[in-house]
Amino acid sequence: LSIDLKEFLAAYLAEVDENVTTANARLLAIDASIQASQRNPRAVRDLFRALHTIKGLSAMVEVDPVVAIAHDMEAAVRAADRAGGDLPASSVEPLLDGLRAIEARLQAVAAGHEAAPAPKELLERLEELALGEADRPAAPRVGEIALDPAIASKLAPFEIAQLRDAPSVGARAVRLDFAPSPERSAGGSTIGTVRERVGAVAEIVKVVPVSAPVSAERPGGLSFALMLVTRADDATLAAAAGVDVAAVTRIDAAPMVAREDDDAAQPHSLLPEALPDDGPVARRSVLRVEVARVDDAMDKVAALIVTRARLARIVAALAERGVDTRELVAALSDNARQLRDLRASMLRVRMVAVAEAFERLPLLVRGLCRATGKSARLEIDAGNAEIDKAVAERLLPAIVHLLRNAVDHGIESPDERVRRGKPAVGAVRIACVSRSNRQITITISDDGRGIDPAAVARKVGRDVAQSTSALLDALCEPGLSTRDRVTETSGRGMGMDIVKRVAVDQLGGELALETTYGVGTVFTLRVPLTIAIVDAFTVQCAAHRFVVPVSHVDEIVDVASATLLPTPGGARRGGLIAGLLERRGEAIPFVPLAAALAFDARSSRSVHALVVRRGADAVAFGLDRVVGQQEAVVRPLLDPLVQVPGVAGSTDLGDGRATLVLDLASLCATLARERAA
Amino acid sequence: VSDLAVRSADTEPTELYIAFKVADVEYALPASVVRQLESFTGATTVPGAPDFVAGIIQIRGRVVPVVDLRVRFGLPAAPADETADRRVVVGENGDRAVALLVDVAREVLKIAPSQLRAPPRILDEGRAGFVRALAHLGPRVVMVLDFQRVLGEELVDVG
Repeated sequence: LSIDLKEFLAAYLAEVDENVTTANARLLAIDASIQASQRNPRAVRDLFRALHTIKGLSAMVEVDPVVAIAHDMEAAVRAADRAGGDLPASSVEPLLDGLRAIEARLQAVAAGHEAAPAPKELLERLEELALGEADRPAAPRVGEIALDPAIASKLAPFEIAQLRDAPSVGARAVRLDFAPSPERSAGGSTIGTVRERVGAVAEIVKVVPVSAPVSAERPGGLSFALMLVTRADDATLAAAAGVDVAAVTRIDAAPMVAREDDDAAQPHSLLPEALPDDGPVARRSVLRVEVARVDDAMDKVAALIVTRARLARIVAALAERGVDTRELVAALSDNARQLRDLRASMLRVRMVAVAEAFERLPLLVRGLCRATGKSARLEIDAGNAEIDKAVAERLLPAIVHLLRNAVDHGIESPDERVRRGKPAVGAVRIACVSRSNRQITITISDDGRGIDPAAVARKVGRDVAQSTSALLDALCEPGLSTRDRVTETSGRGMGMDIVKRVAVDQLGGELALETTYGVGTVFTLRVPLTIAIVDAFTVQCAAHRFVVPVSHVDEIVDVASATLLPTPGGARRGGLIAGLLERRGEAIPFVPLAAALAFDARSSRSVHALVVRRGADAVAFGLDRVVGQQEAVVRPLLDPLVQVPGVAGSTDLGDGRATLVLDLASLCATLARERAA
Repeated sequence: VSDLAVRSADTEPTELYIAFKVADVEYALPASVVRQLESFTGATTVPGAPDFVAGIIQIRGRVVPVVDLRVRFGLPAAPADETADRRVVVGENGDRAVALLVDVAREVLKIAPSQLRAPPRILDEGRAGFVRALAHLGPRVVMVLDFQRVLGEELVDVG
């Protein structure tokens, strides 16, 4: 792939991903509505649009399998949309399967592979849905509505259905006419304010502008027909709009039985879900940026911080020589503050809303329930909490695992729950609180059967844990599963150790447990809001393993095939320099890494050399070999005992041990300075 | 726990200490500064760190430096056959957590203030300044360490 197409693919994947997410969310909302015997015409329309967009985008980049799946899904949903948002319950499963198939293919494309052909069996099921839908008679009607044809033509089928079905949700469909006039707007009444005020007592299905001959009533020759579904009475509506009661006309046919308990003035949301694109949040202008670009900028900020530290040292040296550095010191301290602010701003760029990061989890819980025969509802209370995207990505598998455990091991079967006097539907809850700007606390709780310390003790072959922290330690034993049989969802041997590995070892957070046998379980994860992640080479040098950020390395050289020249002036003048490595006409000082790190140089044989540049200086560091490349979460070494030049921090490569992250760029600069001195 | 230590607990408020051995000499740290005890399975060497720093280890998600008390006290390295059972005592001082590498650590002592004596000046130089007090527990003498000094606060000030 050319660079251009790669960039285009990234944009494609980002946009399609967004639409798949929307489609998933809407499909779940539709499913929830079906369970409640309601229709959700808006969600059906959104789903239809998302599928249409997925199809269009995929056709542009020629990801044909996705086009095929999206096409058939779209056809099935189109029929439902035309039938006023009436999607049959039997359609939900095949559509979810379709979305999963699309996701799998997008992942393949993202990984640089060819997307697998669309599964024939899936396409057949989807086609059947579309055919079934086409044969279906028009949606059963609750009642007819009286509509001006001019207005009816401006309404979408789902909007008409919404008006028509008003009686079925205990409301009325009403048309309210509002004509703007100079007097009205002088009195503060415009179509904008009317929308707002009427919106408080009614669901506005649509506002249709109607042109009419100029008259005393319509000085502008224009009026608006507000198509409403409401529980409020005519007088309330008219008062809200500031119009005469005569301007309110009922359009649905079924007479509504007045109910005493209805507080007519109360606003009622008649749509079963709040649609995110209705809020002001979605109108905020948003820029989608690849994480790599943000990280690149972050690297540059880090370089600035290193340079500032050097400046500070130079200024201190000047002051020692009696130079007046007061102004320099003042400017430096401003500079330090600005750098801190800049760094904080950069970190904020990487923050994503937790609610958004966890968007897919309800889908997961739904699937888990289906696979286990359990019944549970996932509630996510993330508030406005935000988290570094990199932390969120690492944390997600741990949370998925905890949810799996909650549904598979925690929540009892519906029968058992009823026997125990619990609601048949289990409650699983994720709550996030960030009390400081450094840490976020995430709790995953369920009202299931709790953890039996005795059962865990039998499995681990230890004494029964006397405290929850001991119980947690036992649970985190590698390979522990408190179930005897292998289940489709939790499997076997995929234990809590993975959760601990991610939260504690990788992210440097904490994991805690509270459980009451028979009542439920709460896991608490405390993790940092941000982490530094680098793409890194793992290298071997003098029997030690290190990690080196890829961004610091200019080139990897095979020492045997390169030309190594002796140092001019001999080894004495060169210090650590063992020779000059010739690269494209340039002689680069060759320094065995073992020597630079003051290890026994005899224990290391330089097979590879990493060429590192810092400004005009370049150094080729010789080492035993480059072992591999991987992402590493860098944790700074904060203790003064181990703050040493050339070491950027520590990481866990997955073996539970600390591996040093070398800062060869600063080592290179140090060597260059020493040589100059 | 020695009889005397337990007996004194009846008459006087006592403080808990974690006792450990380095080269057959007994030392103790107030339990209030000790976060945990772990067995030692090797540390990651940090080139350029002071010689008494054996390296870094990961303990419950935290990366902590390990101070080898034998080296810190100027004693010869532990014989190979004794290294198998070595443990780390993780102490906390403000924000810092540092692990002390010791030979054996498996005892909790109750020590009353009246059992503590100022360290004698003739204490050999290797340990000078690291011992805050001597605890006389019947026939036993335990050296109570000054955790901050062991961490080398003085190094930090200079650096």
